[in-house]
Amino acid sequence: MAAKRRRSFELTIPSRIEQMEAVHALIEEAVKEYKLNNEMAHWIELSVSESMINAIQHGNKADPSKQATLRISSSGDAIEIIVEDEGCGFTLDKVADPTDKANLLKPSGRGILIIRSFMDEVDLSQREGGGCRLRMVKRLSGLDGDRPR
Amino acid sequence: MSMLLNPRRLDDVVILDLSGRITMGEGTLVLRDRIRKLLAAGDQKFLLNLADVDYIDSSGLGELVSSFTTVRNQGGQLKLLNLTRRVQDLLQITKLLTVFEVFNNEAAALKTMT
Repeated sequence: MAAKRRRSFELTIPSRIEQMEAVHALIEEAVKEYKLNNEMAHWIELSVSESMINAIQHGNKADPSKQATLRISSSGDAIEIIVEDEGCGFTLDKVADPTDKANLLKPSGRGILIIRSFMDEVDLSQREGGGCRLRMVKRLSGLDGDRPR
Repeated sequence: MSMLLNPRRLDDVVILDLSGRITMGEGTLVLRDRIRKLLAAGDQKFLLNLADVDYIDSSGLGELVSSFTTVRNQGGQLKLLNLTRRVQDLLQITKLLTVFEVFNNEAAALKTMT
């Protein structure tokens, strides 16, 4: 039998970094609702924050007339997070490896690596009508599952 | 909570006690400005105490790297002290543990900065 879905959360913001306060507030609300432990809550917050900053800065090029949308839901067994933007700044396999010696001292480019190290599933797709959709899933069971790998 | 930064000095080493969150925006700017001002005033040895930093994002990591390269390019040293497990995990994932010298003991760190 499929697990019962719990309350879900959604937020759409203009593409301004100042709006990240609202993102953090929504994440806080969601992790409380889903009763996640501190460690899991920390890495979920970091992954969601990194993906929303990517959507604002790289997807929407910080154009406040473009919007970024965040959806967080839980089946009880897993948390699913969807971030959508109106641009399309990158494809996952073309993101430069920040751990490569040539990139190690660069000040940016580590967000996707952080997300991938913690999330169990990460996929990026094109939205109908334009923009990108990043889907991330974190399973809530498993040994040491609340820390990145 | 945003980042707080409290500098203290032991001989010619500036120890920056950081606390809170080092994130895109204010947190990274505070760190950048303070290190550049200290460099301009002639300081060259920096120890960043991260014991009370409970959250750092990729922009915060980027700022640590920028500060490190800025200090190094001016002939100075910047080392890290007292990483929390979360910050340690992030530096491990990003391989920045191969860039920074990291210490768990202030006296031991200071001995390497003479």
